[in-house]
Amino acid sequence: MPDPSIQLDLARLVSAVGVLAHLSLASSFLGAIALAVIGEYIWLRRQDKEWLDLAKKFNIVATIFFGVGAAFGTLVEFGLVTIWSNFIAIIGTAIALPFFLELFAFLFEVIFLPLYTFTWNRISKWAHWTIGLLAAIGGYYSAYNILAVMSALSVAPPGLTLVNLAEQGKNVAGAINWLAAFQTPTDAWNIFWWGANVFIFHGILAAVILSWSGVAGVVLYLYIKEKKSWQVKLLKVVVPTIAVLTAIQGLLLGHLQGELVVEHDPLKLAALEGMFWSGLRTDPLTSFVAYGDFNHQFWGYYSWPADIRPPEFVSVFYLGFMVGAGILLGILTAGIGLYLLFGWFRRIVQPLLKPSVYLIPLLAALAAIGGAVSTESGRYPFILVQSVPSADGPPQIVGVPVYQGGLFNPTLQLDPLLAALIIIVEIAMPALAGYMVYLALARPPKLLKRLVEY
Amino acid sequence: MDALTAITVGLIAWAFAVHLPLVYTVLGLTWLLPTLELIGLRKNDDRYFDVAKSLSRYLIFTYAIGGVFGTIVTVFLAGLLPVFTNAAGVLLWPVWGVAIVFGVAISLPLIGFYYRSFGKMDDAKHIALGYGLAVVTSVIPAMFRLVFAFINYPMGVTAKPDPNSIVGFDLGVDLWQALGNPTYPPLLIATLAGAIAFTAVLISAVYTWRYAKTKDEHYKIGKEFGAKVGLIFGVIYVLASVWYLYEVYQYSPTMAWSIFGSPPSYLPAQLQPVYQPTLNLSWLFYLDVILGVVVLAFLATALRSANAGLAMVAFVAVIALMDGAEVLNGLAHLPYAIVPSPPVALALINAYGANFALQVADTLKVSALITPQINSLVQLIGAQPWLLSFSLALFVIFNLILLGGFYLVFSWRPKPQISAQQ
Repeated sequence: MPDPSIQLDLARLVSAVGVLAHLSLASSFLGAIALAVIGEYIWLRRQDKEWLDLAKKFNIVATIFFGVGAAFGTLVEFGLVTIWSNFIAIIGTAIALPFFLELFAFLFEVIFLPLYTFTWNRISKWAHWTIGLLAAIGGYYSAYNILAVMSALSVAPPGLTLVNLAEQGKNVAGAINWLAAFQTPTDAWNIFWWGANVFIFHGILAAVILSWSGVAGVVLYLYIKEKKSWQVKLLKVVVPTIAVLTAIQGLLLGHLQGELVVEHDPLKLAALEGMFWSGLRTDPLTSFVAYGDFNHQFWGYYSWPADIRPPEFVSVFYLGFMVGAGILLGILTAGIGLYLLFGWFRRIVQPLLKPSVYLIPLLAALAAIGGAVSTESGRYPFILVQSVPSADGPPQIVGVPVYQGGLFNPTLQLDPLLAALIIIVEIAMPALAGYMVYLALARPPKLLKRLVEY
Repeated sequence: MDALTAITVGLIAWAFAVHLPLVYTVLGLTWLLPTLELIGLRKNDDRYFDVAKSLSRYLIFTYAIGGVFGTIVTVFLAGLLPVFTNAAGVLLWPVWGVAIVFGVAISLPLIGFYYRSFGKMDDAKHIALGYGLAVVTSVIPAMFRLVFAFINYPMGVTAKPDPNSIVGFDLGVDLWQALGNPTYPPLLIATLAGAIAFTAVLISAVYTWRYAKTKDEHYKIGKEFGAKVGLIFGVIYVLASVWYLYEVYQYSPTMAWSIFGSPPSYLPAQLQPVYQPTLNLSWLFYLDVILGVVVLAFLATALRSANAGLAMVAFVAVIALMDGAEVLNGLAHLPYAIVPSPPVALALINAYGANFALQVADTLKVSALITPQINSLVQLIGAQPWLLSFSLALFVIFNLILLGGFYLVFSWRPKPQISAQQ
């Protein structure tokens, strides 16, 4: 039997790759369906056929990413059943509500998206647009509920209590050692508390920024080569929007989320901000951002025992990737956006257009990966994290551990070969989705005699 | 049956009743579409490709909805029966794992790829892709049916007393023994043959109706192809079902009692109170037999003529037959989520005493596995019943939209394009 710690690392790697791949597919769907609905709306208002063509293309792209992304959602879900099997008991005892509500979002997506795809030119134009809007609402509401669950994993919602059965010498059927439960039944709604909403909208905007940055990169590349009018029209919508959304992320939602981390998980704050000291110490910059003064003291990363500290590398993902790349993305897209809309900064922006083909998607990807890794790894080794004040030391950080005795399936045997196989599938699926998009949009059909309308 | 158990069973049964006909047609189409293409290639007849292409649109529409309802099933299981689902994950993780990686994760994008590459790929390669897709998709029922077989008869399971366990025992499983479950092979064969037959009958029924109205040769081809395939695989399905019922009778007394209406002859009188089912579903069993005869009569006529009325009756009958058979299979376990088989019960009695065996049996009941004392969704629905009523109303609306969507998908025939890219 392989070493349990290696198994845990392999399981985490498999899950991390799967979650990131699913996030990329889900983000692509959210971005594409939004562009399809916006494009069709502009066509309806202006009767500009180029926007109709764009809307149809983004509809196809959205359908492809939805299909592959839904498969990945199932993959991630069954990953919970097989790898983190005890998470299922947590779902039932605590956080089933957003999953239950997500069913309705699923139904919206899965019924209205195919209808939207198959009813172009078959029903009234505004009715068709409304169907697309309903499909998009389904997609965003689905993201809302899943992000509520992810938010709860990082900061436990108010009213949630954790029970360590093992401490009481108990278990369920020899498999389940932890239970989480709300104090009263209606506290289950607390999973949508205001702090969760900050996390949720931060995640949703990040998804749109990431996917629209990909679109911006591809269209900018085509624009530099072909200089077609539809390319300019699309860039004028997409690039300035990325800049505005990035500003909202950094200045409003990111700030509020930081305040929540300060209040609810000081250990995660220490890891993210790179406060690598022991005991209380003043950190002027963090103090200013969090409290508006320069004198506040913070517990350093080494104030807590090593076995509950998140990995040190999260500060790189947070400060370097998410914050750094996010700021650069905001500045770059703001400059290009102002150039596209008003012709400003021509001399500065024009030489930047070619590298921006790669820079915009790359910076967005780095910021997104940085955000996802720092959020999820920053709470490791716990989920449902809670901070308990302590009279003579740093606040006590508690939560359900993800390792053996916590969420990890005690009977799982995951060898490196199987893990590698799963990771190949996880990487191949987004690649296949990309190839399908290429087939649908770019590659002319070989055999015309049997081609029928999609 | 108490109200909580009824709601739980009702919600899960509803999700299954929508999910299973959809995934049956997906599975059936993955085998039938490349077969239609193959026939078209061999006969050099493009009309078979046209039929395959128009049906592939249904494949995409259905897989997406069927997949989502599969997720709904899982969410209901996790939210309403968390301990059961948790234990199933711990014990049967290789089964879930194979189904996920080789079935769900690969087959869905492949379906999209197969659909999008119609007419954009060499015919032979596209047919090979179709059969590859069929094999991969078949892995999903091959794995999940093992879970169903496990529920019928938990072969390979061990239960040892554990005073620290809240339920009083620990569970374990020997997967190799589980694979030898006698109810598994006939259930799997019946599922695969049933999926192909079910889909073929649906195609034949819809195309018969369309052919009777339009006299279009496109529909005639689908009608006759569906009838032939439906007859062949329908016979295999019936034979496998008889085998399955025989094994269920031998190993799963609660199910056998519910299906046939009386306890199996081998069951001792003192064990009858333990194995008595909640529901007597023998009426459903006989109804399924009658529906099967109706479908058979339609298939026999569809080979030579086109009776629109009979086609529509067969369309409804085959869906009712399929749903009826699955509901029968799913509800006959009650009150148990996992039926404790007599050999296991006897082994437990011999090893640990009668009280322990009864304790295990009681814990395997649906009412116990709901764990109402710790289940947040169940508690919330209890405190705010409007949530359930509201949800049921939405489910009804979505079902109606779904039926409308099916009508649209079937009723619109794809239009040939003049140019390559429009």
